[in-house]
Amino acid sequence: MGYLDNSSVTVDAILTIKGRELLARGANAFNITQFAVGDDEVDYGLWNVNHPLGTDYYGVIIENMPLTEAIPDETQALKYKLVTLPKQTTQIPVVTVGNTSITLLAPGDSDIISPNTSNLNGGNGTFGYTAILGNSDVAALRVTKPLQNSVLPTAPRFIGDNEDAQSVAVAGFEFRISAKTQMIEDKTTTITIIGNETGGSTTINLIVKKVTTNTI
Amino acid sequence: MILNKFIKTLKQLPRHSLPPKGKGRSYASYEESRQPFSRAIEDEVPGGTTSNVTTAQVEALAQAKANEIISEMQQAQTLSKSGRTYSRFDFVNDIVDNQTAVITAGLWSDNVGSLSTYYTSSVETTSQRRYYINIYQKNPGLTGSAVQFACAYGNAVGSGSSALGTQEDPASKAVYAQYKQLLLEPNDTRFTTAGSGSTDSIYVVNVQRNRVKEQLDAGNWQLPLTTITSHDQNATGSVAVAGKTLTLIDDSSVASATVGSTGNVYNIVSGSVDNGVYTPTSPIYYGLFYPQYGTMILDGKMLDQDLSFATNLSASNAATAEGDNHFLLFHSISGSLGSSVAGFEARNQEKITSTHYFVRIKNGEFNFSNNPSFTTGSVGAFSQTSFVGDPKTYVTTIGLYNDQQELLAVAKLSKPLLKTFSREALVKVKLNF
Repeated sequence: MGYLDNSSVTVDAILTIKGRELLARGANAFNITQFAVGDDEVDYGLWNVNHPLGTDYYGVIIENMPLTEAIPDETQALKYKLVTLPKQTTQIPVVTVGNTSITLLAPGDSDIISPNTSNLNGGNGTFGYTAILGNSDVAALRVTKPLQNSVLPTAPRFIGDNEDAQSVAVAGFEFRISAKTQMIEDKTTTITIIGNETGGSTTINLIVKKVTTNTI
Repeated sequence: MILNKFIKTLKQLPRHSLPPKGKGRSYASYEESRQPFSRAIEDEVPGGTTSNVTTAQVEALAQAKANEIISEMQQAQTLSKSGRTYSRFDFVNDIVDNQTAVITAGLWSDNVGSLSTYYTSSVETTSQRRYYINIYQKNPGLTGSAVQFACAYGNAVGSGSSALGTQEDPASKAVYAQYKQLLLEPNDTRFTTAGSGSTDSIYVVNVQRNRVKEQLDAGNWQLPLTTITSHDQNATGSVAVAGKTLTLIDDSSVASATVGSTGNVYNIVSGSVDNGVYTPTSPIYYGLFYPQYGTMILDGKMLDQDLSFATNLSASNAATAEGDNHFLLFHSISGSLGSSVAGFEARNQEKITSTHYFVRIKNGEFNFSNNPSFTTGSVGAFSQTSFVGDPKTYVTTIGLYNDQQELLAVAKLSKPLLKTFSREALVKVKLNF
């Protein structure tokens, strides 16, 4: 991944792994219908309102920064999306969950994850949330409140670029996480909840305890 | 609300100025009915006419209403997109698909258009070198060195190549037959050039496939060849070059291609890219050019005649048969370096089908970010207090998605693009297929 020549404004576009997969599938499987914009590399902490040259230079350190080339892994690109909100907005919609940490003590134990969006009435009320379980060997993830009339996947799907990928993703309004049997040791993973409209996200730490056996 | 106000205002206007409603009213009665209003207006506006003033009033109100409607629509659009990170394309205006363009580029490594250094590799085995020799643009031991093209020699009866005794395996015969099968019509047995007619002896320049892309760019290549002054029976030994250097091109500038089962075929003639065909009314023909195959077939008889190749044509069972004549072609090309002509110039060509996506980022959209550095604390407050009421974001990446919100393509800008409520952006993303 090199740098792009920023002496003039150009656009470097590539297909993602998923894009190539759908293109190869044919039969109109490759169908771009919408776009999102992101600012993954930007650190807004660099915005300098004390710049000695004044207003026009507050963001000069960001604007002169050369950008890196696009990467084809769709799970890594556009992590931070720009969002449309009213001008008078003073707080970004935040995706929250009840617990930022869940511990499941025994196989089959489960917990409900009910994401909410604060700072925006009705935020993510149509397309809901996507829950990504980092390691499907640790637990099972399913939807308990599905989306209505949505084309987003409600059944868990593996994400990643190879067959060994263990991350699973599912979309809905509410999810249940159920522990799988851990014979050797406690297992830890994360569940990332992403707002499908506002783009915000939050992460839950999940711990599934090892099976304990009583000795007689 | 504005609409009601507008209707109320219209109602307050004298009805006389409006066209009559209902049936049975004559034009005369309509004209009579509007007289009082006309006079009233004329009294109020010195020098004005009734129709002008009325029209101006109506237009002003209509304009105000139109502005209001547009404003309401924009607000509605913004509200409908509020809290959204995805924006749908307008398929009519934003997506232009199946755009085809022919792209040409320098043929050689790193898109260089003129090759002026030629190297061979000792890595090739003896059995490989009986058939062909690969030419590199730099010492094969160096990083970045790559095969550019190959030279081969073919003879219909196997002359110039040892039969390897009882193996009866003359390489030149195999090469001739191979290119005959690839490039000639099914029942043709010999290459026929306009220079010498049917020929048993051919030299082949075969450009590496990944350099050719779809085809060589006809009319934009030039092969330099220098006279061979002497050489050993086997051309892997000593070969001397000097004197006249010819440049060969195709005749696409003066003649149409012959179209056969192998696609377009042009004659190879004496000339240069800059000056065109030498004596275009009576060109000197040296062979055949197959752009789709990236292959040039040079007539051995013509090279013997004009560049003193003195091709080894010993019978394949003779002791002197192993001529490795293709080394003569390599030396003739590389020997041109000392002459005034440029190197081996060529371009490749391919047809690219593209879809253009016009990403329209309107002033009211995408002015806030989920970037963690955009906020501080846990409630989503801006990290920069100056962003309150006047937020600023930077667009670096554009993602193209399907309905399932699967990311199918990513576009990166070369520099961050400032986005505020007072700035709009239009970015064209071109996807090549």
